[in-house]
Amino acid sequence: MFELCTEACNIKELREGDYSAYDATYLGDYSCPEYPNNFTSNIDQLEAGLELVKSRGQKCYLRLYAIPSNHDLPWVEDLIDTALTMPFDAFEVHNLGLLRMLKKKGSTIPLHLGVFGNLYTHETAKTLKDYGVTRVCPNPELSLKEIAYIAENTPIDTLVPVHGKIPLVISETCFIVEHSEECYSSPDEPRPDGPCNYQCAKEHWLKRGRNDGSRADWSLKDTGRMTLSGKDLCMLEHASTLVDMGFNIFYVQSKGESKDYVGKIGKIYRDALQKAFSGEAAPDYAPLVANLSALAREGLCNGYYFESAGQRYFGRS
Amino acid sequence: MVMMMAPGGTLEMARAVLDEGADAVYVGVVGWSRRGAQDELNDDEIARTIDYATTKGKEVRLVVNTMPSSTEIPMFLEHIQRYASWGARGFMISDIGAIRLAREILPKDVEIHTSVGCGITNYEDVKFLGDAGANYVVLPYRLSVEEIRQITAENSVGIEVFLFKTPSGGKICPGKCMMSSYFNFHRWLDANGKDHFHGSASRGGDCLRVCQTDWKFNMGQLEFDEPMTLKENPALWLEELPEYLAAGVGCLKVPGRDRSPELVRSITRVYRQAVDDIQGSDHPDLAKYAAELETLRGRWRTERHKRDNRLLSEAENLSRNAMAATL
Repeated sequence: MFELCTEACNIKELREGDYSAYDATYLGDYSCPEYPNNFTSNIDQLEAGLELVKSRGQKCYLRLYAIPSNHDLPWVEDLIDTALTMPFDAFEVHNLGLLRMLKKKGSTIPLHLGVFGNLYTHETAKTLKDYGVTRVCPNPELSLKEIAYIAENTPIDTLVPVHGKIPLVISETCFIVEHSEECYSSPDEPRPDGPCNYQCAKEHWLKRGRNDGSRADWSLKDTGRMTLSGKDLCMLEHASTLVDMGFNIFYVQSKGESKDYVGKIGKIYRDALQKAFSGEAAPDYAPLVANLSALAREGLCNGYYFESAGQRYFGRS
Repeated sequence: MVMMMAPGGTLEMARAVLDEGADAVYVGVVGWSRRGAQDELNDDEIARTIDYATTKGKEVRLVVNTMPSSTEIPMFLEHIQRYASWGARGFMISDIGAIRLAREILPKDVEIHTSVGCGITNYEDVKFLGDAGANYVVLPYRLSVEEIRQITAENSVGIEVFLFKTPSGGKICPGKCMMSSYFNFHRWLDANGKDHFHGSASRGGDCLRVCQTDWKFNMGQLEFDEPMTLKENPALWLEELPEYLAAGVGCLKVPGRDRSPELVRSITRVYRQAVDDIQGSDHPDLAKYAAELETLRGRWRTERHKRDNRLLSEAENLSRNAMAATL
């Protein structure tokens, strides 16, 4: 009927989170090879992660590093060569060079194009199908209508994010590490040990404005090598619309969230999507949206899907 | 011989850079390039620029580097065929599907440059784009000479670099950033059914430069003492140019479609002289350009600051009005 996916960056997250509502898990943090025990950059972690996901009866997709430089290509290739010997259901690839590398190897594993693959048109999707891409995550700026057009006219499976912070920009260096000295203005705050002491384990926010409506109040969440929207994307109220438009693969973004987040969000969407696919009348979403709002420090958004600024929210009405 | 391209954000600028010795001018097509309409040329201006360039034995390359909508692709192809028939000698494109289709329909002697919107990070990316039909791949303005040597060693496609750069690393811009449109974005169709956008660096119109405003960085309960911007800005450079050419760079790109014609004219003149010196001598004296280039860097920063302030004010006003409308 549908596939609900989420992510886990390492084995700790995979063990501590409640993934029971999901059909598939993307393993790894594609933005930061330094992230502790990251599946994307640690060959020795792959087997344990794969085994755990499979033991839950779920599909398991491995994420590849999104922005490899020349010097990253050798270790990424080593990881790919090892992963190709394992029963992953697909690789998620953001980088065109890695697509070419996989094709040159004669790999037949299905490939999913990730969010930083910059997919905007069905013609690009057609080109990427020649490289073995079977599923695409369109650029967040695309509206639902545009995503549906790509799905229908390529044709290709499309992953539609339905909840969680939107990845907006990715970096080759860590913004948190770059500013770590200045961060510790308090003499009581323990100093980091080296260039990276996993300071991203604490939440980092970028804010602008006075929070009183007198200026544009903007917020972003920074995870070091990636900056996410401050607000959480939320499409709960539009579950039946998503079904009517023909979508059936959905994604919850959970990087940087608490260990309870992935389970709570998953259950709400599983229930809502099941009802929508079975044709049940839409429930009163207000209490559920209130629950989701409580988990979103800066509020909810979905504007891109409705041809507007990403930070705006459009309810069912 | 390396080709030096310079920008034509206006008809006046296009002529000026050709007069100052650019081998080619690159101009944005209204609604199809990563700038606001004030820095793009309409069809009449494009035709006049091509005529002017032809009389001087120079070339025009057209910037059509927005990520088009799927439904705009036929219109995109019709436009580039038309401009090629007028004498345009190349196109700058970001969308992979559009690159592939453009290669299929354009004459072989019309060249395709990939745009920085492709967001490449390694030599395998360059190979991919070459396979798709690109004649030139522009590198991001943060790669070192060594990285460029690695890329040219692995590729036979032409390599293009900007004549400005940022320190290595940091946020990938342009090509993989959507901060601007997250805060402000709207879309409308014109009478011809063409999509126009405001606020998206990738889809058209101006990036609203939200990375350049004053952000407060909070970590838990701690807050930075001073506000900060999120990204460093590129600066004009020169000293490494001989090494870049020796590394195999085949096309140099003077930046500045959105700057004043006077500034861009001066920048083009300096780089033309420097490139001629480098190509004409084993030991070019580039130190003689240092003082003038430093002055130009200052003017560049001043104009950028004015532009950023304008765009940020727009972004703030639009954002405030939009949020007020939803209350």
